[in-house]
Parts: sequence; C-alpha cells; structure tokens
Amino acid sequence: MKTPTLALAIAVATLGLTAEAGEPMNDLEIAHTAYTAGGLDIRYAHLALGISENDAVRAFAQTMIRDHTAVNDAAGALIAELNVTPQDNDLSRALVEGAAAKRAELMALSGAAFDCAYATNELGYHQIVNKTVAEEFIPAVTVAPLKTLLQDALVTFRAHETHAEHMVAGLECAS
Amino acid sequence: MRQLTRLSRRRFGQGLSASVALTDLPRPAAAHDGPHTFEVRVSGFAFVPQRVEIAVGDTVVWINEDIAPHTATARDRSWETDALDAEASARVVFETPGEFEYFCVFHPHMTGTVFVRPKRAG
Repeated sequence: MKTPTLALAIAVATLGLTAEAGEPMNDLEIAHTAYTAGGLDIRYAHLALGISENDAVRAFAQTMIRDHTAVNDAAGALIAELNVTPQDNDLSRALVEGAAAKRAELMALSGAAFDCAYATNELGYHQIVNKTVAEEFIPAVTVAPLKTLLQDALVTFRAHETHAEHMVAGLECAS
Repeated sequence: MRQLTRLSRRRFGQGLSASVALTDLPRPAAAHDGPHTFEVRVSGFAFVPQRVEIAVGDTVVWINEDIAPHTATARDRSWETDALDAEASARVVFETPGEFEYFCVFHPHMTGTVFVRPKRAG
C-alpha cells in the first residue's frame, strides 16, 4: 500500500505542471500550490506539538510553524501587492488530499512511533517539495517577484530538509 | 554586555548614514580610537562573515536578509538578540574581551564567533 508521502510524490510526478486537463500551470496556480504546501506543513507541525514529547521533534515543529508562516506571509504580501488571486488546481488538491490522509495516519500514533513517522514524513515532504520548487516551479514562473520569492523560500526549505535529515538520524528510527 | 536593541532597517539605515557622513570628515591617518560598528548579514541560513574581530566597546549589528526569522544567541546565553524577522536588525555592544560563540536558536546549525580584543592601553 502506498503511503501518503509516496502518493504525494506520485501526484507531483504525474500531475507535474499540468494542473488542469493538461494545461501547464500558470504563475497563479504555482503560487497557490506553494502556499498550500507551506500551510500543510504548518498543520503537520501543530499536530506534532499536540502529540510529541520529544524535544528535538517539538523544536523542529516550532521551526516549521515559524518559518513557513514567514514565507506564507511574504507570499501573501506579494499577492496583495500584485493584486492577484492564486488559483486552486489539481496539484494543490492532491497535496491537500495526501496531507489529510497522512494526518489521519499520524494521529493514530504516539510516542516514538509518532516521532519517527512525523520526522520521516517531514524529510520526504521537503525532499519532494524542494525538488518540485527547484526544478519545476522556479523555471516555469514568469513574474520576477514570484520567482525571487520562490528562490528565497527554497533556501529556507532546503535548510528544513537538512534539519529533518538530522532529526531522523537522531531519532534512530528503524527503516 | 549592553542591553540589546532591535531596530528596523530604516532606522539602521539612518545609523549607517551617520557613519558614512563621518567618513567624509578630515581624520588622522590612523584609524580612530572610538568604537566601531560591524555588520553581520544573516543570509542563506548563515552568518556572513562567520567570524568578526572587534575591540571592547565596538558594536555588532546583525541584519536578517532571509525570509525566515533568526536570532544571534551566545552559546553561554550571556547575550541574545530578539527574533529577527526579515529585514530586521539588532545590535549588541561588546564591553568585555573574549571569544563569544553564538548560534541561531531556531536553526542551531547556524553558528558564528565574535572575538573581542581588549582595548589598547593609552
């Protein structure tokens, strides 16, 4: 059975930049998907703070809330400045659907099992999102300020990926 | 260590203007003996430069160029900036000599060092 993280990877790979009936994703759809991905990670983090008692996991979750909120606030400010409305799309919906399934899976866990599942998911999530942002979103975006924002955000997300790698290693989760 | 202040980029720019104005004044060949201000940019999840060497009484200003918030926090917790949002700055005046290792409490892999020399005699 595929895990939600794997499902997310498949969704990204399958949908790629074709959000609606084979049409390439436009800037507003890319903005929507990037914003959605950040918001979903914030929700994962709140779940972790509600369940985990591990200091490293809780610190990571607090960092995710702080950093993704900052990135999404910057995105919100840019959206307001450009006076545009991000567009929902198939990829955003796939992300939301996959995250809902993953949250349900995580909520059934506790203790070390939760910590490992959360940490592993965070690593996989950031790997997929970062690859998508770097290789698909940034090259495809046409509006310069949005491209700059995505490039700046990617620096943050890559730091998260590295942080997640350390968290997974520190938890010594069985593979 | 003198208590920290946090300032907006605009206020920091005003401070820079004052410093720049001073450089236009006639001055002795040797560097002046008064306190100096050193900038550390927080960029790409790193402190740049990673190490600064200053004298007692000098000031270090951290300027966050990332989107994510950061801090500069002494490893021994003897001083700490507030959380610096994007484009925010904070300064610390170093009044005792020593080598101060610091890090970002939000992203502990980010580290830096402030080396504070004693004041020259005379």
